[in-house]
Amino acid sequence: MIGVLQDTPVIETERLILRAPQAGDEEAFIPFAMSARAEFIGGGAECDLGLAWRIMAIIAGHWTIRGYGSFVLVDKATGTPIGSAGPWHPAGWPEQELGWTIWNADFEGTGLAHEAVLALRHYVYETLKWPTAVSYIDERNARSIALAERLGCRLDKAAEQPKPESPCLIYRHPGPAQ
Amino acid sequence: MTVTFTIPELETDRLRLRAPKAADIEAYIDFRASDRSKTVGGPYPRHTGWSQFAGLIGHWVIRGFGRWIVADKSTDAPLGIVGLYHPDDWPEPEIAWSLFEAGEGRGIAYEAALASRAYAYDTLGWTGVMSLVDPANTRSVALARRLGCVADGHYDHPQYGRMHVWRHPGPGEHRESDT
Repeated sequence: MIGVLQDTPVIETERLILRAPQAGDEEAFIPFAMSARAEFIGGGAECDLGLAWRIMAIIAGHWTIRGYGSFVLVDKATGTPIGSAGPWHPAGWPEQELGWTIWNADFEGTGLAHEAVLALRHYVYETLKWPTAVSYIDERNARSIALAERLGCRLDKAAEQPKPESPCLIYRHPGPAQ
Repeated sequence: MTVTFTIPELETDRLRLRAPKAADIEAYIDFRASDRSKTVGGPYPRHTGWSQFAGLIGHWVIRGFGRWIVADKSTDAPLGIVGLYHPDDWPEPEIAWSLFEAGEGRGIAYEAALASRAYAYDTLGWTGVMSLVDPANTRSVALARRLGCVADGHYDHPQYGRMHVWRHPGPGEHRESDT
């Protein structure tokens, strides 16, 4: 069990298994991170193989520092890791975030990110006891903006920016009681 | 919530090579933010250091091996990072070492690198390994020589530039008494 994250939660939704990162996930993540589809989350043309690999390592390591982290979304029908979503709070983030990315373009537009984030929002409120959650979204990322709105989030223009030099849209999720 | 993360521990005369843990973060970030990290692409902003610390652990998750925190055996104080490093943009796995200021000048990197090499050969079954060294880093070049490495060309990294390849002696080829 060398280097394996243990005692991490597994969440099941209608179509997905949500679990902590494991060896092999990088093979699904790296091509996404280096593609144009990742341009709104720090990847894209500027992202080389080394950076993509290191980002996957950061996603995995975040779990051991915070005790939670981004879940890998596994398509139940095929066993394919298709994206990641969930609680995210690296150093420098003013607040705890609920993030999401669909790595595999074949699964875009299927509502799976919505399905995952709904389950994970429940998880961060019920289990991690977060009082609130935001999502940081590039203003050009129309798909994520649409998802935030579908999730009932509201733009919070007063919230502190994670990277003030390149401001993003900050969507605040409905609270635990809402 | 607690996440368990288990990696093997190695012990030497003076050191324990163990998993990175939360108590090491500040020492690691201090190192990555200091001029001491110039030969490994730094210095880095502190929030970048935090992510790099996460990456140090994530390397183990992805590869099943990685770099240890080198801790003083009696006090557990973190002295540096040494171990097996193989991100996807590396030509092959290497033995890598970085010492924090607290670990400088006592042969600690040598002791930890020897233990890492023995682990690579005896436990993982590797038949050879190299180290990538910035040629301007004269202390690391000296350490590579002390470890019995021989120069074996170079590797040009798109971001970090030219690094020299130092090829370690294979399993059974090097004894401490040789140095």
